[in-house]
Amino acid sequence: MYNEIRVFVENKPGKLSHIAELLGEAGIDILALDLADEGQFGVVKILTAEPDRAKSILSEANMTVAFNKVAMVEIDDRPGSLLKFSKALESSNLNVTDAYGCIIERGKRAVFVVKGDNLADIETAARNAGLKALDSLE
Amino acid sequence: MNDRVGSCYEWMSRDEIASLQAELLQRTVAQAAKSPWYSAKFKEKGVEPGDITSRDDITTLPLTSKEELRESYPRQMLTVDPSEVIRMHTSSGTTGRPIAVFHTKEDVDNWAELMARCLGMAGATASDVFQNMSGYGLFTGGLGLHYGAERLGMWVIPAGAGNTARHIMLIRDFHTTVIHATPSYAMHVAERMLQEGDDPKSLGLKIAALGAEPYTEEMRKKLQDLYGFKVFNSYGLTEMNGPGVAFECTEQNGMHVWEDSYIVEILNPDTLEPVGEGEVGELVMTTLRRTAMPIIRYRTRDLTRLITEDCPCGRKHARLARMVGRSDDMLIVRGVNVFPKQIEEVIMRHDWVGGNYVIHLSTRESLDQMTVRVEMAKEAFDGTIATVKIQRAELQKQLKEAAGFTVMVDVLEPGSLPVSEGKAKRVIDERG
Repeated sequence: MYNEIRVFVENKPGKLSHIAELLGEAGIDILALDLADEGQFGVVKILTAEPDRAKSILSEANMTVAFNKVAMVEIDDRPGSLLKFSKALESSNLNVTDAYGCIIERGKRAVFVVKGDNLADIETAARNAGLKALDSLE
Repeated sequence: MNDRVGSCYEWMSRDEIASLQAELLQRTVAQAAKSPWYSAKFKEKGVEPGDITSRDDITTLPLTSKEELRESYPRQMLTVDPSEVIRMHTSSGTTGRPIAVFHTKEDVDNWAELMARCLGMAGATASDVFQNMSGYGLFTGGLGLHYGAERLGMWVIPAGAGNTARHIMLIRDFHTTVIHATPSYAMHVAERMLQEGDDPKSLGLKIAALGAEPYTEEMRKKLQDLYGFKVFNSYGLTEMNGPGVAFECTEQNGMHVWEDSYIVEILNPDTLEPVGEGEVGELVMTTLRRTAMPIIRYRTRDLTRLITEDCPCGRKHARLARMVGRSDDMLIVRGVNVFPKQIEEVIMRHDWVGGNYVIHLSTRESLDQMTVRVEMAKEAFDGTIATVKIQRAELQKQLKEAAGFTVMVDVLEPGSLPVSEGKAKRVIDERG
């Protein structure tokens, strides 16, 4: 299981820049970022190799930050590799509520990040299909 | 006005109260006219003391505001020869001129009777030991309670404010059973004892008269549980003597206001017309027995309602419900009267928001729009947008119930609302 970072933000200009600036100054690489918006406020999801440090940096800047547990599965960065994982989920009858992927090394490694009702089952299903469920990112 | 305010007045019927009020109002107006200030005011308004024949004629009399009392400082409202005055108090005004109130010997006597009546109504007797934990001096909570407790015949310990260790020692050594304090101080003493591994119940206190600052029903329950005593609400203001104006009986449901000594009106602070029965409005009071400084139709700025149903205790004096705020604070939104305190009470029920908030008023499509801006409490964020939406919806629903119209809620990041020093500015009105 892995900690994705969630930041509560008011929906107004400059918020994303603030996050980008804080993490950039600290030399933290953002692997993936997504913004879910609700009108007046939103939640920013951030995937980074250094979740603990990123969280404390944002928190010290008085931002509202929480960890969100996700399953992170390593797949090959080439056509068709996602299917192996999605089939594994399907055959174990597992539902996914949120998902995205990102490339770690072009043409070689990618990770697929999912949120579902039972993360442990999702990880087991991945392992059974011969995939790696990651607890850290180097 | 030499009547003693004895116990026969405590059990008067409504009819007796009404006819006594008419008689005393007449005399009060005549007495007030002896002061330079009221004599000028009555002349200006064409009021003749002889015109007052019934209690209802009170509506023909001019109102008296806090500012006017300040203007009358130091003694434009004095109606007797200075040699007849035996005491004065001033209001706890923090800025500018205070409000000074004067008492003759009869005034102090009557006040003591009313105060004694209050304490007796709560169940205190001459065999009790009374410890006054309130400050003395110009503040009425010291001498006001003191004289009433003595009048009742209690053993009085004029301990004064502060010095918690000494208070606890005096309570233990002299077996104090009745205390007078502010609710926050009573809480402070309990917390201090608990910290030191001591049980406030071991003090053996039976009755606590708490007032001088607003507190909630939850706070009362908490204090009662901690100490094992009964808490009685007290309402008073320097302009109307101080404590002794209204007090709870053993029903602990509203404060009986002594109508043999005061006329109580509840007015709409906007129109200054009486509100409907049982509705919230500004408390307006007239002294009926004070000689040295009668005050006519005083706008207290306190908002409350009258409980007119019969009290099971049998007393017919009307009851004041808890104060809901100050008329200065009232907002009119879409024609509805709303008090920031009502909004605050709802917000405080939600621990996922911080203590800082702003009520923002604007105009949208020619309609008043109220938006409550709250800050997310940092620790409360669980990372999901759905949780925030559910929490906001619940807050919004409760605000609608409290205000009577739809209230928008903005959830902000912590620390984004301005932190003010001292009194926070909670309302921003940008209606055009």
